[in-house]
Amino acid sequence: MDPVAKLLAASPSLPAAAEKSSAERAGARIKTVAASQVVGKNSAVALPQDAAQAIDRQLADDVAKMQAAESPASGTSRSPTKQIGDEAFIRRLSLDLLGKTPSAAEVTAFTLDPAADKRQKTIDRYLASAAFGDNWAHYWRDVILYRRTDERALFVAAPLKDYLTEQFNKNTPWDEIARAFITAKGDVRETGALGVIISQFGETNDIAAEISRIFIGVQIQCAQCHDHKTDRWKREQFHELAAFFPRISVRQTMKDDKRSIEVGSVDRELPFARKANGPRGSTEHYMPDLSRPQDKGKLMQPVFFVTGQTLSPGKTDKERRETIAQWITSEQDPWFAKAFVNRIWAEMIGEGFYEPVDDIGPDRECTAADTLEYLSSQFVAHNYDVKWLFATITATHEYQQESRSRRKPNEKPFLANCTQRLRGDQLYTTLISTLGLPDQATPTYGSPSALLSRSPRGQFNAVFGYDPSTRRDEVAGSIPQALLLMNGRDLNRAIDGRTSFTSLGKLLASTKDDEAVVVELYLRCLAREPQSSEIKTSLDYVKKVGNRSDAFEDLLWALINSTEFLHRK
Amino acid sequence: MTSLLQHHCRVAVNRERVTGRRDFLRGVSLAGLAAGTLSWTDLLSLEAAELQKRGMSCILLWMQGGPSQFETFDPKPGHANGGETKAIATNVSGIKIAETYSNLAKVMNDVALVRSVTSKEGSHPRATFLLHSGYLPVASVKYPSLGAIVAHELADKAAELSSFVRIGARRSGSDGGILGNQYDPFDMASANAPPTNTKPATDTSRYERRLGLLGQLESDFATQSPDEVADHQKLYDRAAKMILSPQMKAFDLSSEKDAMRDAYGRNEFGAGCLLARRLVESKVPFVEVTLDGWDTHADNFAKTTELGKKADQGMAQLIVDLKQRGMLDSTLVIWMGEFGRTPKINARGGRDHYPRAFNMALAGGGIRGGQVIGKTDAAGDDVADRPVSVPDLFQTFCKSLKIDASKENTSSIGRPIKIVDGGKPINELFS
Repeated sequence: MDPVAKLLAASPSLPAAAEKSSAERAGARIKTVAASQVVGKNSAVALPQDAAQAIDRQLADDVAKMQAAESPASGTSRSPTKQIGDEAFIRRLSLDLLGKTPSAAEVTAFTLDPAADKRQKTIDRYLASAAFGDNWAHYWRDVILYRRTDERALFVAAPLKDYLTEQFNKNTPWDEIARAFITAKGDVRETGALGVIISQFGETNDIAAEISRIFIGVQIQCAQCHDHKTDRWKREQFHELAAFFPRISVRQTMKDDKRSIEVGSVDRELPFARKANGPRGSTEHYMPDLSRPQDKGKLMQPVFFVTGQTLSPGKTDKERRETIAQWITSEQDPWFAKAFVNRIWAEMIGEGFYEPVDDIGPDRECTAADTLEYLSSQFVAHNYDVKWLFATITATHEYQQESRSRRKPNEKPFLANCTQRLRGDQLYTTLISTLGLPDQATPTYGSPSALLSRSPRGQFNAVFGYDPSTRRDEVAGSIPQALLLMNGRDLNRAIDGRTSFTSLGKLLASTKDDEAVVVELYLRCLAREPQSSEIKTSLDYVKKVGNRSDAFEDLLWALINSTEFLHRK
Repeated sequence: MTSLLQHHCRVAVNRERVTGRRDFLRGVSLAGLAAGTLSWTDLLSLEAAELQKRGMSCILLWMQGGPSQFETFDPKPGHANGGETKAIATNVSGIKIAETYSNLAKVMNDVALVRSVTSKEGSHPRATFLLHSGYLPVASVKYPSLGAIVAHELADKAAELSSFVRIGARRSGSDGGILGNQYDPFDMASANAPPTNTKPATDTSRYERRLGLLGQLESDFATQSPDEVADHQKLYDRAAKMILSPQMKAFDLSSEKDAMRDAYGRNEFGAGCLLARRLVESKVPFVEVTLDGWDTHADNFAKTTELGKKADQGMAQLIVDLKQRGMLDSTLVIWMGEFGRTPKINARGGRDHYPRAFNMALAGGGIRGGQVIGKTDAAGDDVADRPVSVPDLFQTFCKSLKIDASKENTSSIGRPIKIVDGGKPINELFS
């Protein structure tokens, strides 16, 4: 049976909302969402390999349907690509799961391994590695902090990264992680889960907007000031979501000479009135009257726009946040699973079902919707098991295809894995492991900007980092990036071939055969052996230059500055 | 055949350039040709900068921390709120400014003051964002800063130097925002040191050799990912072109005479102002120079006097120098910070944050100097006449720089974002 048909047959009907009157009120708005897009735990639970096969079949169906729907004239078709070779596979997998390229030894061992299931085994091994958590913690830290509205949010950068690393390595289900972010309290220097709230510095509207964008992929804040032209969400619905968060308090503190910020609750009306942009004095959220902005506005009751569930008035901050955390992560909200699956898929395949990844919803165009439906429902059936999702996606043929530049809009989707620019952390980790440099710790105190800028990784990220929610074809290389890789002082010291302190120096001293050095440098930098033409180019160059260490410094420099080094194929 | 043609073309266009650079460019281009990524048109467009005539430029003198209006251009010596700050006359009758600004007083005929700026934002990071972009920060749209907008609108795409240079800033975050990271500033920690990573790691001939090798090795990846290789090659070409450009001399203040350096002031801010003039001369359309330390919650008077001396000397000399070189009309100079300071002096002799009524100054860029826009009441508590909002300021900047403020850029989710949302230019400044 077709997996999606099976799934749809098994989908539960929408359970009644918490309070009937409000459910009726919201019912009209959500009917179209509920009918086709609810995903449920009742679908059969598939193992990664089986799910992967089902995905490939479904994707082929979806793409074939698109082809049939198109007129022949517009059908600029490219043929699907082949499965990638072992070298390309292990570099891609290592970058995607561990955030760095594999070592030369690892590539060699993998390619020589005769086992038929070596790819599967490596996927499992990588998912069990501590670097997996590091890599995806960097990704989500950036998703959250690139949208900060206040530099003081950087106090949370290190604890946020540590918190996420731990959760991903423990394989905490995604719904649990999301609930922790929505309900977090405490000192931001100690509580990584405060990332989302402190990135918006406790601002009610901004927190509502970011929680929706990050966890359900819906940009509801477009309705903050006016009803959206192309979306179903009304202005009132945005402010009903904001009504879950007006009692969050943010207070600057000083402990043992360390500045910090404490996030808590205010459940008592404060003696001063709420100012337009001012401090949070009110315990309720009001939707401003646009024609009379000086007025207090309309008191909003907390309602979750996706399901129509309503919370009765006057609840405490704890009750409000725990309730919305439950509702957002419940099966009745189909977008919670889809938002996560879509993001991870886009990062691994180079093309999302929805793009950009943080603008999804019932009024957005979805490519291969049935495939996303299947994968999301399976993700729910597996209780939001993050490692299961990675194991499944990496096992698909779709993932293991050869890579290409991103397709043109008129070309068919999902026929190749797209070449992608490395994120700042991936590139930094790769660079220091390629050159044999240590990964220095990030400072834990100092001003917010010092927290970022005082570590070599932070400085590197300031130049190479980008908001990972951005479509990858919109992220351009910059002049300071090129200058750093070409002329950076530390980097050029690390490729010095004349000293025994560098990895190149050691290699040249221990290996007299020039061809072997070329092969080794290719393996270290690009995780593959050079082709015969590349060996020839390199050896001709060594000969022409005449000075062995100079020539290999240049080769190492060129490899690090190459397009291939900066990209994941 | 083609490369010979290209070579001749380049020589023809670039006759005045040093040979080293020409050979270097050839190395880069041949590398590009080897990878099949640099076309004939690319090469021609590289030279288009030479043909461009001078457009508008902007120098933002950014007073980080929120400068006190009472101690700068809106002194109140007759009132208790005015504190110990005295006012002096300027070369425009009727305009008085704080006594520290004796140099600026001599060029007041070229300076316009706005004493009635008003906003609601009293937190440093948010107000700094507001006064840089015209918008409050929000999570959903990363608004570009004025520098990024000017670079986007006015820069010659084939220019050799970066189009947005920022000197001495201690901020992080992306200024390019929705325009893309190619519009982020080129940051310099100090005007007195060469910009980071612009000194080639090797001598020029070896550098060329390296680039040639890189170009040869790129060709293999190009068969698989042609778009990425083409973009990378263009970027490296631009970066390499920049650092070997004769225009890089603009960054080197040591070629200025001692008298000129003294005139700007021998401090970081003065050097920054001098560097800004040199960069604008080299057609960089936007330069931001930061003077930090205006957050005077304690000891306000001593601190603002010390900062004021630097601000006064650097800014006044910048105006004089631009004018002498015939560049003042095409260069808008903006002096401002993120907000003002409280009228009441606190127990520590300081002033706290006060966005409700504060001041800023403008010169050049078609602005008629020698006038004051708006005023505050006797106590400095409120704007008494002609309130000017932050969007009004940004409309004014755009008008001066001949940028269409109503133009819309597109956010990542397709939302149209106006360069300036609301507000009206201060038309009196241009009459």
